This record gives sequence, structure tokens and C-alpha cells, in this order.
Amino acid sequence: MSITLENVTKRYGSGQVVVDRVSLEVQTGELFVLLGASGSGKSTILRMVAGLAAPDEGLIRFADRDVTRVPPQKRDVGLVFQNYSIFRHMTVGENIEFGLRIRGAPGAEREHRREELLELVGLGGLAARYDSQLSGGQRQRVALARALAYKPGVLLLDEPFGALDVKIRSQLRQNLKEIQKSLGVTTVLVTHDQEEAFELGQRIGVMERGRLLEVNTPEKLYAAPRSLFVATFLGGGTILVGRCRDHKVALGNLSLPIPADVPHDEGDRVRVLIRPEQVRLTAEPPGQGAVLGQGEVIEQNFSGATRRTRVRLPPLPGVRQVVPSLPFGEENPVLEAVVPAHDPPTPPVPWVTLEAWHILRQPTPRLLVCDEGEGIAPALELAKPLVDALDAIPTVLGVSPDARRQDALREALAERATAAGLEQPAIRVRRGDLAEQIALEEREAPYDFVIVGAGDSDPRPALRRTNLSDELLPRITTPLLLVRGRPRRLERILICTAVGEPGKADIRAGGWLARRLNATVTLLHVTIPGRTMPALVHAHLTRGVATLRELEVKGKASLREAATPLEGILAELRSEPYDLVVTGAPPPFARVPIRGFSVTQSIVSQAGCSILVVPTGTW
Amino acid sequence: MSSRADANAVQRAGRRAAVPASLVVLFLLPLILMPLAAVFLFAFRGGPIAFWNALKTPEAQFALRFSLLVAFATALVNSVLGTFTAYVLSRYRFRGQRILGIIVNLPVAIPTVVVGTSLLLLWGPIGLLGRSLPPGLQPMFAPAGVLLAHLFVTFPYMLGAVKPVLDELEETYEEAAYTIGATTWQTFRFVILPTLKGGLFAGALLTFAHSLGEFGATVMVSGNLRLKTQTAPLYIFAQFEAGNIEAANAVAAVLALLSFFIFFVLLRYTGRESD
Amino acid sequence: MKRGGHILPRGLVPVVFFGALLLYAAWPWLPFGRTAATPSIVFYGFSILGDVMNKGVFPAFRQRWAAEGHGDVAFRSSFAGSGTITNQIVLGAPAELALLSLESDADRLAAAGVIPADSWKRLPEGGVVNRTPFVIFVRTGNPLGIADFADLTRDGVRVVHPDPLTSGGANWAIVAEYGAGYREAGGDASAGEALLAGVWNNVAAQAASARAARTQFENGFGDALITYEQEAVYDKGRGRLKADVVIPRRTILSEHTLVVIDRNIPKKDRALVERFTQFLWTEEAQRIFVKYGFRSVRDDLNAGHPEFGTIEDPFRIADFGGWRRAKKEIVEDVWKRRVMKIPAKK
Repeated sequence: MSITLENVTKRYGSGQVVVDRVSLEVQTGELFVLLGASGSGKSTILRMVAGLAAPDEGLIRFADRDVTRVPPQKRDVGLVFQNYSIFRHMTVGENIEFGLRIRGAPGAEREHRREELLELVGLGGLAARYDSQLSGGQRQRVALARALAYKPGVLLLDEPFGALDVKIRSQLRQNLKEIQKSLGVTTVLVTHDQEEAFELGQRIGVMERGRLLEVNTPEKLYAAPRSLFVATFLGGGTILVGRCRDHKVALGNLSLPIPADVPHDEGDRVRVLIRPEQVRLTAEPPGQGAVLGQGEVIEQNFSGATRRTRVRLPPLPGVRQVVPSLPFGEENPVLEAVVPAHDPPTPPVPWVTLEAWHILRQPTPRLLVCDEGEGIAPALELAKPLVDALDAIPTVLGVSPDARRQDALREALAERATAAGLEQPAIRVRRGDLAEQIALEEREAPYDFVIVGAGDSDPRPALRRTNLSDELLPRITTPLLLVRGRPRRLERILICTAVGEPGKADIRAGGWLARRLNATVTLLHVTIPGRTMPALVHAHLTRGVATLRELEVKGKASLREAATPLEGILAELRSEPYDLVVTGAPPPFARVPIRGFSVTQSIVSQAGCSILVVPTGTW
Repeated sequence: MSSRADANAVQRAGRRAAVPASLVVLFLLPLILMPLAAVFLFAFRGGPIAFWNALKTPEAQFALRFSLLVAFATALVNSVLGTFTAYVLSRYRFRGQRILGIIVNLPVAIPTVVVGTSLLLLWGPIGLLGRSLPPGLQPMFAPAGVLLAHLFVTFPYMLGAVKPVLDELEETYEEAAYTIGATTWQTFRFVILPTLKGGLFAGALLTFAHSLGEFGATVMVSGNLRLKTQTAPLYIFAQFEAGNIEAANAVAAVLALLSFFIFFVLLRYTGRESD
Repeated sequence: MKRGGHILPRGLVPVVFFGALLLYAAWPWLPFGRTAATPSIVFYGFSILGDVMNKGVFPAFRQRWAAEGHGDVAFRSSFAGSGTITNQIVLGAPAELALLSLESDADRLAAAGVIPADSWKRLPEGGVVNRTPFVIFVRTGNPLGIADFADLTRDGVRVVHPDPLTSGGANWAIVAEYGAGYREAGGDASAGEALLAGVWNNVAAQAASARAARTQFENGFGDALITYEQEAVYDKGRGRLKADVVIPRRTILSEHTLVVIDRNIPKKDRALVERFTQFLWTEEAQRIFVKYGFRSVRDDLNAGHPEFGTIEDPFRIADFGGWRRAKKEIVEDVWKRRVMKIPAKK
């Protein structure tokens, strides 16, 4: 019996999204594995399939039957829990027969089926035992037999090996695989263990933060993941970021062609995944192939059949390493390689050749556009050019103070989004306090920008920009674009920076935006006479300009002397017509009382244009 | 050699325990043991015939029977209500749950006389609710009032015996039954209830024993009517106060024997459970 | 489902035991062996009435009622301090008849709207069913040589006294103590107060009812107990008296008032209750009271009973203007306000 999930969403009581619009089809007789870290929502999906939890949105079908609202008793599923939940007061035999007794099967049939199942799971002769007299592995098999006894159409397993010793796991996995195959029952298994997923799954679905990221066969997921998360969650390897040049990605002297099905723009940063076994290390320079250069072995670990090796490469201009992450200031990429243990010893300074690689898809930026559902719609209006320029996916969020008006708000939002030129965006309606709900939504789903439009003229105090930003800023972890007035374009961007700010999140976010919008950037640093050291300022600005240049953004640096950073920024704003001010903000956990933060708030309240606040550490 | 050393240590420990242990017995003697013995001594002082005659009076018979019936009813009703309450408190999460959890355990802390007073003020003929009831249905000074008082006073016992067992039971236990196809009732009947039987039994016994001996609330609400609402403890008190010590002692001895028996069943049974 | 269901323990003993217990408890209510419901009278009485009613008056009336061809009648009775039963009746206890030790309690019932005011005065003898004087119990042999109330004021005498809050007898005792002093001095209020205060200075234990005070005294508390003469006469008759009785020269004859609580009497039982009420003043019932140590309201029935001691100067509540005045002037003003303010001992 096939299982179909259509746009299934589940929220907790607090409104937090656990499962976010998941669509999935499991074929009849398939063994499907849902893989994800704890809290990714995989178990919740299993519970919804079993009927133990009801989806808030979406449909679940078994074959052609809509079971979304069908109680678990009527779903005809067998479920094996991580803790097995064997009924303690019943013997093994009674446990297995329970489903048949409930269904009123005659004694002889029950007995026959019980023996059959005990034989199948290899527990013959243990029918009279109680739960307390069983080992972990035996328990798991009893739970499996109990779930299969009434021949359910669907078998669900929630981390069935999680509570077991590593030693017996692989044996039981093999048993499970054989049993599943011989019965041909449609099976969904949930696990956090990558190895288990590979070993068991005919197909694997990878979950992260409530989303089903990718579904594919283990081989394809490993060799050609689409996203960074799947690439790193399943298997090791190295991910390098190079720049797109003429439909190729440049890694030093090497140019790797970008496949046609990966959309890319000239100058885009492209991520290349190199699995350890795709790296060849040779003593002599190979005559042909994708030679990355000559590296230096920094670590070798023998692990039985293979040797895991880390090779440090010379710096590759314009190339950044994402995975594994390097210590700060390390410019040389470090490649992970694995070679068969019986190969000749690796030379200390080997030549590095790539036998294969995989180019990841570009991540699609996601915008959270907040709209009131009435009055002017500055956020929606600015969202349209941003969506076009960034090739982004917009989600429109409305917050209603009470439950009754939620449907009306949803309709209004859809209408206004269409009017603003957004094509069928996802609409989200939440209930409660505006700032609080925006912050919650932003935390539950990964967004790249939160766009909030609120003019100073708004008569409602909560919506006035200063108030809203005051409440939002301490909470939010995503760059927040506060739209003032009704800007059609963002052409001139002022990035305010300061010495000693940890990271360069504001410069990167502002620069990235500028490149996509084709805007010009002014990088401003305000010096306070007698308090800032010129050498530091110079170094800081140089690095900033270098970052912008790397992003290929037209821009200049500007130095201004003023009594306070705020005065300097306001003076700069008066001197030229900027469309957007970009400023950093401490991460939310640092909260309001920090001095830098009050500068951010002062800019928000006193600048005449739109503002992008980039929390530290986000970009 | 080391095992002998161990044995010596054990022996030494045993010898040292003799002093504090006999100390405990020493103060338990006047505190608990001797008063209990006195009840039996006095009850049988006039010989078995006098004891039997004292028990045989219609008032004594009625008081014992009435007390037993009320105890059975209390145990039965509170078994159902207490188990249900424990189930709800243990299985559902809702607003005000903590407060509810405190309220249901409140009766252990309230003086029983206060329980009686509050019941009178609510259900009595001049009480908040009792006032609007027709005289025939008014529970106070009637057996129903005694039952109400006993249900109130003994409510936490069932809860205390059952809820810990339920709390320990993983939620998946029930869910497993649901997915297997059992209805909510079947799950309760065949999966939850059997695991609760120890707690249920202990809770019912405790409730029964406590109801059998309840005095403070009963004396307020029963009206102490002979042959109508006089429970055994009220009978004992009334007879004692009236100077009929033999009559009081006979019933007191029977009550004490019943309580002993219940207590030993409890010990034996729950002891076996924990093995 | 055979298995999994049994709640009872494996042992058969508790099952059998509790089964038997239930059977025993429910036996009278089981369908077999059940008799038709008999009409009943709910009778509340003050504490010392327990035996005389249960053993004397009720059986006599049941015989009489049956002899008159009406069949059986059941009595449901409760005996406690007069104040206690009055409170219970005010709270709604289903008493149909109440024999109170104190007319003031009847007044309280009237004030609470339970019965019409003075309704008992329409009964024979103004509602008074029987009398008994207040006397002093002392330890056997009278080791302290107590001869009158005045002796109870001596240092070191420990008096057991019922509590006037709940006991009618205690109220009688207070008037007895006060009145003895008052009359001794030829009508001097301050002498009355002095005697009362002297006695109360020595009160070592208070009990909720006269009967409970008696039990306390018998359990060894105190040197003297002030209580109804009936207790002494009745127990002496049964050979049970474990104390000596001292008859004061001047003491009060308590009078016990019957009230009929009409609102608690079902219509079908009205005639029965009416008949029983009349029965209490018949010679038969009055003789039973005498037999149990009460003094009858008919003096001719009291004659020829040497167990009733001779009182030199007996008085009644009427001599102090009735209970309504006495309650206010003696109990409230003298005893409560002035006497109880005096510290127990300097």
C-alpha cells in the first residue's frame, strides 16, 4: 500500500512548526528511510502517518484512501517504537496475539500466526517469556512481530535500533531487511543514523528543521546531493566555494564545468563537493585529469580497510573552504581523502587529482515579507524587485491579533501579494503580538531576509517603525530590512562599519545584496578623534573593501570624523541620497543594554531611508 | 579470610543495632503497642459472652454494617474517580494542571472537621446548594452525606497509589495499543488497567481502611443517628462518652482487627508486587 | 480476553474475606429476609436520656402502639449535649421530637425558625416532661468532706463541670450554684456571684455534655462533679454507682422541655408522633422516668421513693424569672462576663 503525504504541516501548541509542508510518496512494498537529526520532525511525520498526531495542514493518503483524519485504530499500520513498549503484563505470545484478539480472530488462527511470527523473527520457543526476561534485541523482535501479526498494510519503525548495542545492530538490520523483503510490506523507518539509512533504505528522505530537503536513492544522495546540508549530513568530504566564470567554476588552475541543470550566473559563488574517495594522491604529477596541485599530508589515520588522509593544498585564489571549516585565518584549503589501506604508502607531498566531484545547486534565498493586510504595503512593494533580483522565494506573513480575523487576513494578504506582483507566494498567518510572532516565524523556518514595512506615519503605536524595531531587534537572528516610505529600487547603499565589530556580517550581507541589485556601495567608518587608532581603522577598511571587491561590487570607502558614530552616520546620510543603510547589530543573546545596539536603534529612529540590520554572525 | 572479616563486620553491625532497636521498641511500647493491646484487653475483660452480647445489639450491628457499606462504596467510587483523575493528570497537558494536581491532593492536608463543616455549609439544609434541594434529597444527616464526606477525605489515596504507576508508563505504551487496533476502552481495559492493578488494589485497600475509621468529618455531617447514620467510630465514641465502655470496646476491637487484616493484606500483596 | 484483566491479587484469601465482609454488611438490605418498612420517629434527646428512652420509654410505647393495633414503630434516636443537638437541628438534622434539657435551647430553635415561638408551652405542663435536681458527686467515702456547693470553693478541690456552651446541664448547674448562694444570703445577688465564682475557680475539666462530664469523672478526673441527681439514682439502682452523692441544701430542680419539630414530620407519621407526645405525660411513661431516676412532673408519683434525696430549699427556674431572664442575667451577665474574667488562680 503506497503512502502519500501532500503539503503536510504540523505545529506545536506554541505555534512552532515541527513539520513544514512536507510532500512525499512511498511506493508499495518500498523500504523508505526518513533520516534527520533529533528534532528534525522525522518522528512527527511517522506519528502522523500512524495517526497518533494530526497534521495541521495537508493530506495523508494510503493508496487512494484519504486517512488524514482516520484514527490510528482504523489505519491498519504496524508501529515499532524506539522503546518497543512491550506490554509488561502479557507474555511474548500474548503481545504478538494482541492485535488478532482485538480483531476477534479465533484461537487456532491466533496460535498459528503467533508461531509463524516467532519463527519469522527468530524467537521460536520464547512465547511464554515476559518483557523483563528479554534482551534488547529480543524485545525489538517481539515489537516487530507484534506489529506484523495482523498483516498491516504499512509498517512504521521509529529508531528501531536506537536502544541496541552497536554489535547486534547490523545483524538485526539484516534480519529486518530480509523480513521486509519477504513480506513486501510498505515500510517507513525513521533514524538519525546515516549508516543505517544507507544500509536499509531503498530511498532516503533527509529532513532538517521540519523540511524534507531531498528524497533519493542512497547512491544518488551520496554522489549528487542538491543541498549543502545533505552533502554534509550524508558522508564526509570537502566543500570548496569557487567563482563562476563562463559556466565553469574556477578552483585555482582547475576549471570544472557547471552542469546545465544547476542554474548559475556569471560571478556566482559555486559550491563543489569532493568526496574523500574521489581524491587521488600520487607521488608523480599525473599527465592528465583534474589536477588540483601539489599538497602536503598533515594527518593520516588507519581505520582497517582504509586510510583517511588530510592534505593541505597551497592557497587557491578566490576559493573559500566551507567544509570542513578551517580555523580563522587559515587560507590553505585542506582536502579529505581516503585510500585503500593496501595501497602503497602516500607520499608526504602528493599530487592531488580529483577523479570526480559534484557541483551543488545554488541555495535559493528566502524572504519573509511581513504585511498588515491593509493600508500601504511598502514591504510587499519592495519584495517584488528583491524577488526578481535575488531569484528568491517570498513568504508573506500576516499577524492577526485575534483568531476570528485570521481567514480574512489570509485572503487580504493573497490579494495584496498578487497586486504587488508576487506570483502565488506562500501565505502564513499567525496570531498574537506582531513582533513576537515575526520573531517566532523567523526562528522556525530558515529565512535569509525579513522585510518589514512600517512608516513613521502609522498611527498605531505598535506598528511605528521605532517601536516595532525596538521589539524585533533583540529577538531576531536574521537580517531585518525595515522599509521606510515606498522605495522602488535600492541603488545606493551605505554600509556603516566599526573597528572591532566581530565578523563582517554587515559588509557581506550588504555587499551580496548590492551585487544582486547592481547597486553602488559606500563603506563608512566613523572615527572619533582621540579614541580610534588610525592603523586599526585603515586595516579594517582595507579588509572591508577587499570583501566588497571579492563580491564584485562597485564601491568606495569613506572616513568621517565625528563626536559619536551616530552623528557621523547621520552626517553621511545628509551628504548623499542613500536608499539603504546597512548596520550591524549584536546577536540576540547580547540583548539591548549594549552600547552598539543603542546606536543601531538610534540609526533606525533617525535615518531617513530604509535600513538593513544584520545581526552579528548571521552572514 | 576476607569473607570471615565481612561476617565479623556484619555481626558487629548487628550487635550495635541492638541498642537503638530496643530503644525504638521501648518508645513504641507506650506510644502504639500498649494502647492497641489495651483495646483488646478491655474488650474481652467481661469474657467472650459479654463481648458477643455487646456486639450483638442492633445499634452495634448497624454501625458496623453501615461503616462497611460506606467503606465499600467509598472504595468503589474513589477507585473509579481516582483512577480517572490520575489518568487525566498523568496523560494530558492543560492549563491549570498544576493547580488541579494540588487541589486533588488537598484533602490530606485539610483537617477532617473542616471537611465536615464545609460539606455542611454547602449541602446542609441551610447550605449554599442544600437549601434548594427538596428535604428528601438533602444529603446531610443522611447516609449520602457520610458517603460524600468519606469520598472527600479519602480521595487522594487512590490517586497517590495509581498516579505514580501511570506516570512511569510511557505514552507509547498506549499508542502501541492504538496502532495495533485497540479502541480507547480496549486499551484502558487490556493494557492500562492490568499494569495498574497493584496500585488499584493498594489504593482501594487504603481508601477502605481509611473510610472505616473516618471520624472527624463523619461526626459533623452524619447527625449521629442511631440505626440510620451512625458509623462504627461514631458508635464507639458515643458509647464511650455515655460510659458504656464494654460496648465501645467490642466494636473498637472489631474495627482494629479489620484494620490489621487490611494492613497485612496490603503488606503481603504490595510486597509481592515489588519482588 | 481471558488474561490481563484480573485486578484482584492472586491470593484467594482477600477475595473471600472481602466478599464475606460485603455480604455481612449488606445482609439486612438484601431482598430476602427483608421486612416491610415500619413507620419511625426521629427522636433527639439530651445526653442523660439515652438509657431511659432506649430501654424504657421507646419499648413501652412500641408495646402500647402495637396493642392499639397499629403494628410496629421504629425509633431513630441521637443523644448528645442539649446545645449540640439544638445546633444540629438548626443546621437541619431531621429530628421530629427533641427533649431538651433547657428551655433556652427551645427558644433558640424558635429564633432559628425551626419551630413556632413558645409552641412547647401548649403541651402538657408547659412542655416539661420531667425534672431532676442538681447534686454533687464526690469520690467514694467523701474524702474531702464536701457537704454543699460552698465546699467546692475551697482551695484544692478539683471540680468536673459540663461546658455551658454545649450542655444544658451546665446551664442548670450554673443557676444552681448561683441560686444556692443567692438564697442562702436571703436574696443577695453578690453572694450568688461569689459562690458561682468560687466554684468556677476550681473547675478542672469541662466536657461537652453532662453525660460526658460524668464519664470523665468516672475515669478518675477531679474530686467533685456537679450533675443531675437522676444519674446517681439510676446508677445506684443498678448497683453501678462508684461515687458518693452529696445533696446540697439549696439546689435547683432542672426541667426538661419537649419540642415538636413539625416541619420534619412526614404527614403519614403525624398521628404517630402526636400519640407518642401524649404518651410521655401518661402515668405509664412518667413511672418509667421515675424508675430511671427522674422526678416526675406529677408529685404523687415521686412519693414513696426514698432514693430521691430531700432538699431543704429546692427552687426552680421560675424563681429567677424563667430561662429567658436567667439566661441573660445569670449565665450571660454573671457567669460569662464577670466570673469567666476572673483568672483561674493568682
